[in-house]
Amino acid sequence: MTATIEDARIDPEEIRDSAQRLLADMVDRRAGWEARPDGAAALDQAMRELGWYQLIAAEAEGGLGQRFDVLAPIYEELGRSLAPVWLSGTMATIDALYATVSAAAEQLVAAVLENGWRMAVVTLAPGQSLAAASAPMVGGAPDATHFLVIGDGEAPPLLVAADAPGVSVTEVTSWDLGRSYGAVEFSDVRNVLFRLEGDDVLPVVRAHSELALACDSIGGASQCLSETVDYMLGRQQFGRPIASFQALKHRAADHKVAIELARSLVSHASRQFAVRGDGWAVLSAQARILACEAYAAMAEDCVQLFGGVGFTWEYDAHLFLKRALVNQIIGGSPDDLRDRIVGDVCQRAQTARL
Amino acid sequence: MTDNDQLSGLRTEIRDWLAHNLPADWRDRQGGDNTAGFLAMQREWFTKLVEGGYATPHWPKEWPGGGRSLAEQIVMFEELARGGAPRMSLFFVSLYHAAMTLIECGTDAQRARHLPAILKGEVWCQGFSEPGAGSDLAALRTRAERRGDRYIVSGQKIWSTLGHFADQCLLLVRTDSSGAKQAGITFLLMDMKSKGIDVRPIRQITGDEEFAEIFLDEVEIPVENLVGQENEGWKVAQVTLSSERGLTLVELTERMALSLWRLVDAATQGTGDTGMLDRSVARSLVDISARIEAMRAMLATLMANRMAGREAVGDASILKLAYSRLSRDFTALGLRLQSFAAMRDTRYVLGAGYETGNWMFDFLNSYQYNIAGGSNEIQRNIVSERVLQMPREKLG
Repeated sequence: MTATIEDARIDPEEIRDSAQRLLADMVDRRAGWEARPDGAAALDQAMRELGWYQLIAAEAEGGLGQRFDVLAPIYEELGRSLAPVWLSGTMATIDALYATVSAAAEQLVAAVLENGWRMAVVTLAPGQSLAAASAPMVGGAPDATHFLVIGDGEAPPLLVAADAPGVSVTEVTSWDLGRSYGAVEFSDVRNVLFRLEGDDVLPVVRAHSELALACDSIGGASQCLSETVDYMLGRQQFGRPIASFQALKHRAADHKVAIELARSLVSHASRQFAVRGDGWAVLSAQARILACEAYAAMAEDCVQLFGGVGFTWEYDAHLFLKRALVNQIIGGSPDDLRDRIVGDVCQRAQTARL
Repeated sequence: MTDNDQLSGLRTEIRDWLAHNLPADWRDRQGGDNTAGFLAMQREWFTKLVEGGYATPHWPKEWPGGGRSLAEQIVMFEELARGGAPRMSLFFVSLYHAAMTLIECGTDAQRARHLPAILKGEVWCQGFSEPGAGSDLAALRTRAERRGDRYIVSGQKIWSTLGHFADQCLLLVRTDSSGAKQAGITFLLMDMKSKGIDVRPIRQITGDEEFAEIFLDEVEIPVENLVGQENEGWKVAQVTLSSERGLTLVELTERMALSLWRLVDAATQGTGDTGMLDRSVARSLVDISARIEAMRAMLATLMANRMAGREAVGDASILKLAYSRLSRDFTALGLRLQSFAAMRDTRYVLGAGYETGNWMFDFLNSYQYNIAGGSNEIQRNIVSERVLQMPREKLG
């Protein structure tokens, strides 16, 4: 084979098309809200068959050798369709394993792909450790085979099997019934499968997780805006569609601007992260802050713009609202992110100055 | 931006050129209430830019400095901003609005008369808006009647940027009121020394005088100064209004990004010690920085789309709304951080952008971007109607 790396690049827009087709076919977004089976296991199986889990693994481990830029459209489409799966825990773990300095990490990536392991990222509160910790709401925990445990400080992330002694997972019924969550507790856990050593490991886990949530939020916010405008076009009052009232049109326009501004930063940060280009760690956190804020604002206004029916369980406005609000805080609140990066932001400002 | 070797070569070239040509004391010389200093500094800087070939990258290649790609123009605006050069305030309308209108729609005689003059410093202003025709520009009422080989023009124009220093004016007049309002508009070139013109500067809320009103009382304009056909001036005006192609926002955004340190400075009382930052202030800095980076990314995408000829309807409005709100919030944060110091009316620097060091001035000035060039309200109409396909307003 003489093919260059560039030849082997998959077009992110082709991935998006394929994701849209799959998700349109398989996602029943109201399933969790109507106590129907959510189909997450079947969707996960289909994702596996399409090779999504292999995308960023190296060819030596049976992967496709791609970069983050092909995952971004998948995360966005998962958000747009309100899909019931958590892809990012496993993918962030694969990404992080490649950021370690150990050859054993590659064998672990191969094991993830071969055995279909599913990871969830657990962020410990300050002062907690594997000796004693409880994380009240971890996305995807009930289906996880392993946890990637990251702390408050800069200690190396740890990979722990979900069935290791001292690990317990309790399914949590959250307000967001569209995805599964679990409470994870550690009590005197000694059996660590792998310590992910390396300067970039923790920043990679964070950036990957944050960009996944940012993309999910951009997809969700865009879909929410589109459905809100459709509703406003159909809903008649005073003899005309409410979409013709300027006060409401301007609100929709403001949401469009906020979403597009956030989308621009998410795309830029995703490209920078894909090639580990300048500023990727700070940009990823900033992208999540803007994207989650735009989604939350859009979804909050969606309920209001739908009026009375927006307040009902039957209509979908609250599906977006609840997912948006979880996206904003899970694994770290906007303020946590701000406090973490402000030093870097100021330092960059002070060095690039007029 | 896509930086290939040629573009990075251009970056280096401009940096070197700036190192040798940028007057270190330009801020002192053109700042404050010193109008004569402003005009002299602007002329001196403009002459240097023309000599260096950096004033006319957007002109056709037969002109000195012309024939540069949009990508190269972006690089020039970015590097001039990053190098801390003065903005081209006094000559911007001449180089972009006037020159591009003449190049695309003017006669050979008009081009021969004015393009070389513009390179020598002929200052142009725009006579479009009127007291009764702002957002609804096509409602303009300044009348022109043709008598033999001249038009006789009477009416009033407003918001002409630096009109009180202008030699020439791009003028929109009404020549027909019988049909649709856009159909009876004619585009003329007016010598500002003509009889019957009275120009009065408008004092803004900043205390600065950047705009002018132009009163026209039976001003005679030769028919040879007609651009395009009579009653077809609306089309020509669209060319004028699209002449700067987003470069102003590229420049302003870059200047804002490079002025973020001023907020850090204000937040740390000039010490630069960010360890002591108040937490709520620190969080606001992160958010403003995020929006600036988002703005840069959005502009880069728009300019790339423009180069590829696939700009979408409403993109420019989305950008303008994002920028205008960002400029307000950016300066409002500075105002909050600088506290009482910002309330003292200190000297300011014309034509710099976020460099005055007085946040009250910059905050007040930020309204400009929320009103000029199509107010935020008009932009929201465009986004909701043309991008989101919501029903159009019934127009009067």
